[in-house]
Order: sequence, then structure tokens, then C-alpha cells
Amino acid sequence: MTNYPNFQYSRDRETFSAAKVKALESLLIEKGVITGKTVDTVLKYFETEMGPFNGAKLVARAWVDPEFKKRLVADCNAACKELDFPAGMSGAEGEHMRIVENTPKIHNVIVCTLCSCYPWPTLGLPPYWFKDPTFRARVVREPRVVLSEFGMKLDNSVEVRVWDSSAQIRWWVLPMRPAGTEGMSEKELAALLTPEAMMGVATVQVKPRT
Amino acid sequence: MFTKFEHFAVTSLMGSPEEAPPRKAGHLHFDRDWEKMAFGVAIALSKQGHYEWEEFRQTLMETIKEWEDTHELDDPEWDYYQCWLTTLEKLVVRAGVLEPGELESQMFQFMNCKSKAT
Repeated sequence: MTNYPNFQYSRDRETFSAAKVKALESLLIEKGVITGKTVDTVLKYFETEMGPFNGAKLVARAWVDPEFKKRLVADCNAACKELDFPAGMSGAEGEHMRIVENTPKIHNVIVCTLCSCYPWPTLGLPPYWFKDPTFRARVVREPRVVLSEFGMKLDNSVEVRVWDSSAQIRWWVLPMRPAGTEGMSEKELAALLTPEAMMGVATVQVKPRT
Repeated sequence: MFTKFEHFAVTSLMGSPEEAPPRKAGHLHFDRDWEKMAFGVAIALSKQGHYEWEEFRQTLMETIKEWEDTHELDDPEWDYYQCWLTTLEKLVVRAGVLEPGELESQMFQFMNCKSKAT
């Protein structure tokens, strides 16, 4: 370790940063600017509302309820209202969401070739690569190659459809329910869903029960 | 259209990979507890009106630029939340929430206290 001159620096920096933030918090509380709960309230928003939970709940419901699935595919925003979502769920970049269903014959993937339009209310925060110009250009030009780089092996008989989001319509994907999930509850099914699966760059994996 | 301030604040940072906070599987990702606190305080203070969020954002970008100008691009010391914390320090003084030097003296008091105790 002594061969790395930066090591000591890093550890000092960590101690400094932690102490500095602690000092800042205590000063702000002392001055009555914030209370002990202010920061928790802010963080709670990101932990419970701004993430891929909503998308996961919608997909899980669609998997167990074929009638709901029809309504979700026909009118995503109206179907969102059926579930008990927090206020603002259909606002802020989610106004016009549309979901496309994967089947054994059709695989869908989403992209935004112009910028990075993304269905935040259902999928949470976009990953870095979604905005990457190379990804955006290549997924349109050679979607199968890009998907294989993500680890998805698609049979040649499967048609790949690329959905380009815009300010008007934000697309997202209804993945296929994996085999071996027959006895699972809606909650258990929702836990299997990842943003990547709902973007069409991954399949849903069944994790062994712990 | 109803938008939560928290939502607005984070989405406004998605302009570039450098500016956007680290995230994992659709969530914000924090490696250390102090990052969470620095993140939450910055948003809370702006929400209360101590500074405009755009001012925080611009200052964060300046801070990142300063770091990039003085380091190699692949420097492993790069740390998003260090830049965030530096930005927050600048803003609390500029907004008059804290006096210049006030944070340092409180911090050293904490550190001395800690080292005496151990």
C-alpha cells in the first residue's frame, strides 16, 4: 500500500468529506434552516417514487390480468390511473406514454434518436448509455448486433422493432413473462423486472428464491 | 402539469454524463452516507429558496470543469460527489446561509473531538 502515494490522500479525503457534511448538517440544524427530517424527506422521494417501481407494477399486473394488459397496451396513461400511483405520476415527461408488447415473434426496443426522451415515471432514471450518440445511431441501424452486445440472443425468426421516442410519445416495453413464474404473486413478479427489461435490452430473469 | 421539485432538479442534471448523478437500475446510486446527505441538503436548500436550482447546476458544471482542467481525464481520483460537495460549500456561503469559514471551524472542531475520543 505504501507504494501508492494517493492512497493516504484518498483516505484523508474521505474523512474530510464525511466530517464536512456532518458539520454542514449540524450547522444548518442549529440555525434552524433544516430539521433532522428535511433530508430524509427529500431522499424518500427518490427511494419510493422516482424509480422503476411503477413500470414494474404495471407489467406485473398485465402478466396476471389479461384484460388489464389489453387496456395497458391500448392506453397506457388510462391504465396507469387504475393503479394507485402517487400524484404527478403521469406528469413530467410521462404525459404520453405508450407500451409495446414483446411476443415470441416480435421483440421491441426503445431509443430516442434525437435526444434522450425517456418514460421517467415508469422506468426511473435513464442509464448513461441511453444518451450515448453511438448507441442511439447503432440501435436503429443494427439492432440485432446491439442487442447481442447486451447479451440478448434472438432467434432469426424474431422480428425486431425499434421505437423512437419523441417529446410527444415516450415508448416502453412490456416484456414476456418468463417460464417458471406460474405460482408467483404480483409482488414477486414485479421484483423480477428491471429498467433494462422494460427498455427491451434484456430479458426478464427468474432469480432463485432466497 | 404537476412536477415535484425533486423530480425537476434531478432531470435537469441529465444534460451530460459528467453532470448527471451516478445511478443504477433506474435509481440514484450512493456509495457513501455523506453523499446522500450532501445530495439531500443541496436539493432541500434550493427547494426552500436559498438559491435557484439553475445556479446550483451551473456552479456544479463550473466545478467539474475546474477539476477536469487540472486533472487527467482518466484520473482515478475523479469523484462526482466531491464536486457536488464543493459546489454546495460555494452555494451556502454565496447565499449567506453560512459565513465564510464557519463550516471549516465546525468541521475541525468535529475532527479534533473525534480524534480525542479515540
